[in-house]
Amino acid sequence: MNRTVLICDDAIFMRTMVGDILQQAGFEIIGEAETGVQAVEKYRQLRPDLVTMDIVMPDMGGIDAVREITKGDPTARILMCSAMGQQALVVEAIQAGAKDFVVKPFQPSRVLEAVNRVLAA
Amino acid sequence: MDQAKYAELFRTEAREHLAELDATLLTFEQDGDSARVPEYVASLFRNTHTIKGMAAAMGYRGAERMAHALETLLDGARRGPLHARDALLELLFDGTDALRLCVDDAVAGRGESLPPVLIPLLQRVSAFSHATDDQSDSAPDAPHHDDARHAHAHATVSAGVPEISPGAERSGRAESAAALVERTVAVRLTADCPLKGVRAMLVMARLESMGSISAVVPAQTTWQDDRFDGAFTVHVHTASEAEAIEQAVRGAGDVARVVVAAPAPRSARDASSEALRTVRVDRRRLDTLLELVGELVINRDRLLPLAEEADTSAGRLLSRAAHDTARLISALQDEVLQARMVPVGHVFDRFPRLVRDIARDLGKDVQFVTEGREIELDRSLLDAIADPLVHLLRNALDHGIEDPSVRRTAGKSPSGQLVLRAVRDRSTVILQVEDDGRGIDRAAILRRAKRQGLVAESVMELDDDALLHVLAAAGFSTARAVTAISGRGVGVDVVTTRVRALGGTLELETIEGQGTVFTLRLPVTLAITRALLVRVSDATYALPAAHVVEVLEYTPGMIVTAAARESITLRDEVIPLLHLRERFGLPRRPDDSYVAVVESGGRRTALAVDALLAQQDIVVKPFDAMRGSAPWFSGATVLGDGTPALIVDLGSLT
Repeated sequence: MNRTVLICDDAIFMRTMVGDILQQAGFEIIGEAETGVQAVEKYRQLRPDLVTMDIVMPDMGGIDAVREITKGDPTARILMCSAMGQQALVVEAIQAGAKDFVVKPFQPSRVLEAVNRVLAA
Repeated sequence: MDQAKYAELFRTEAREHLAELDATLLTFEQDGDSARVPEYVASLFRNTHTIKGMAAAMGYRGAERMAHALETLLDGARRGPLHARDALLELLFDGTDALRLCVDDAVAGRGESLPPVLIPLLQRVSAFSHATDDQSDSAPDAPHHDDARHAHAHATVSAGVPEISPGAERSGRAESAAALVERTVAVRLTADCPLKGVRAMLVMARLESMGSISAVVPAQTTWQDDRFDGAFTVHVHTASEAEAIEQAVRGAGDVARVVVAAPAPRSARDASSEALRTVRVDRRRLDTLLELVGELVINRDRLLPLAEEADTSAGRLLSRAAHDTARLISALQDEVLQARMVPVGHVFDRFPRLVRDIARDLGKDVQFVTEGREIELDRSLLDAIADPLVHLLRNALDHGIEDPSVRRTAGKSPSGQLVLRAVRDRSTVILQVEDDGRGIDRAAILRRAKRQGLVAESVMELDDDALLHVLAAAGFSTARAVTAISGRGVGVDVVTTRVRALGGTLELETIEGQGTVFTLRLPVTLAITRALLVRVSDATYALPAAHVVEVLEYTPGMIVTAAARESITLRDEVIPLLHLRERFGLPRRPDDSYVAVVESGGRRTALAVDALLAQQDIVVKPFDAMRGSAPWFSGATVLGDGTPALIVDLGSLT
């Protein structure tokens, strides 16, 4: 059975891109979220194997979403998607419970490496 | 007691012991046979102990303290079984370097205290002794108890230094109890790893899950800094095996290198001085490196023109690649040359003692000043130039600077001035020996030179260049009578020969009653130099490009006769013309040739050659054996196509 992924990003472009990379690698995209609140809701509902999480989203930011998700499921595997220059925010996200990070612009190989690390841990 | 005399003795002898320490350490490091360890330790102990004794006698506290700390360390190793062999060796190597620094400092007059940069090392040594002492204290009548106490005193200073903890030492032996072992985990992240600080955090998280962290270098608080380069070292007490640790670290992603060592004091390096951060390299290695770079340079010069000729699209790519390679070779050449550079101070520092001793023997009062100690010169050049400098200094003291009474009568200060100066001038280094003595007696030298047939009877006066020429004539300068009459001479031929062999020039300036200046001009490095390649008959010769002023096409109309010499006029300047063919014993060829105007020792000469070939870097292979046989060559080189070319010594032609 394919591993399932929930993609959280407020930009359709980024969601599509991450989705394509993961789909081509054999993952099943079982849900997308545009806001932090949606991300938390969909996680509870879908229980994906992996979450990719943008840091800056309307409504509720990615870091708060990580906190909410890991509060309910400490084993949640969350990969942060960050832009350059967001080092401090990534640090915060990791402390909040995210397992790894990738930096935009995305290189498919780097995304897959990070995903595999998160799933292997 | 004569402190100065003993200082020299101390230095010489201490250096011998230091060299022995180095040699023993190197053998020790390579010899895996534990049966021979006591022998090595005993030898190291003896050398250290001797240095300590000598330093104490001289009142050199810094060297004494460092030697004492090392001695204590070795004493511990002598008494007990050997723990942490690698860490011990590391400390002993560093300690020997530090001791060498102390010895040099002491002889330079800064021996009262330990150089502050060495204090962290001293603390490491003491802390290590402390750790081993704890284990061997049970020995009932341990000798050198004083030493042990001393070490304890230092160890209190180092409390809180995390590098070596006694606990880690013990746990190394207690593996059966599956105790925690202190491991040093050195990590380097890949160069292209984004957000290195965060990646390092992920590595840390994995290490934290395997044991307890005792130290992190550099501190984690600096990881979010832009300057964090992704290299860090973690000390972790863990039961995990090295392979498991390495695997875990690599699993964090973007890890280029992991080295797991148990237990090593490496992080202390960050605190130690620049001097200890250097590595020993055999000089023959540097020579080989330079030779290889030389061959690369030659090949670069072959490759570039070939790449230019290619005009297909593949050819253009080739040309670009060739240019990139050429640029890299140039950079490599610079680095290798730089690695060979040494400040002239290394040699200059020997002279104050020498000058002082000679002056005292001669009953002269001399103030010796060195300038430009920091100027750098290729190591092999510096070694080769030391003797000529001694000659010049000795001459200045012996024949230049007058006795105090004579100076007083002449209205001069009774104390003479002797200056040894280094100045960097573009791609050359100028070394000057300047005295304010009586100058050279031109008339006496002229008389003598005429008697020996070195100068025509018609010559009325010797200018500075002619004077040097006469002094440098081998038969002349060694004549003892000259020394007695006029001073100067002894050794000048030796100096000129040596300086020329190095591709340099020697100049002289003297004013009677006021003093003399010898100026040596040397290339910064003798290994690779730019040359103008010319053809004379069927052979290729190299003219050092630094001395080539201008090249012209030879026309009969440019010839004039001045002072009974064939010359050319160049913008109203009359320059003597020399046919290289004639000089090399070949018939002259009047048509379609060229003239290279060269300058050496402040004089210009026009050299007629058959053809101009190219200007390029050449690798100089000096030869010493040629002295007396072909005085107008200073060395040889091998060109890109494998043909040899002799390097013309321009100083010898004029």
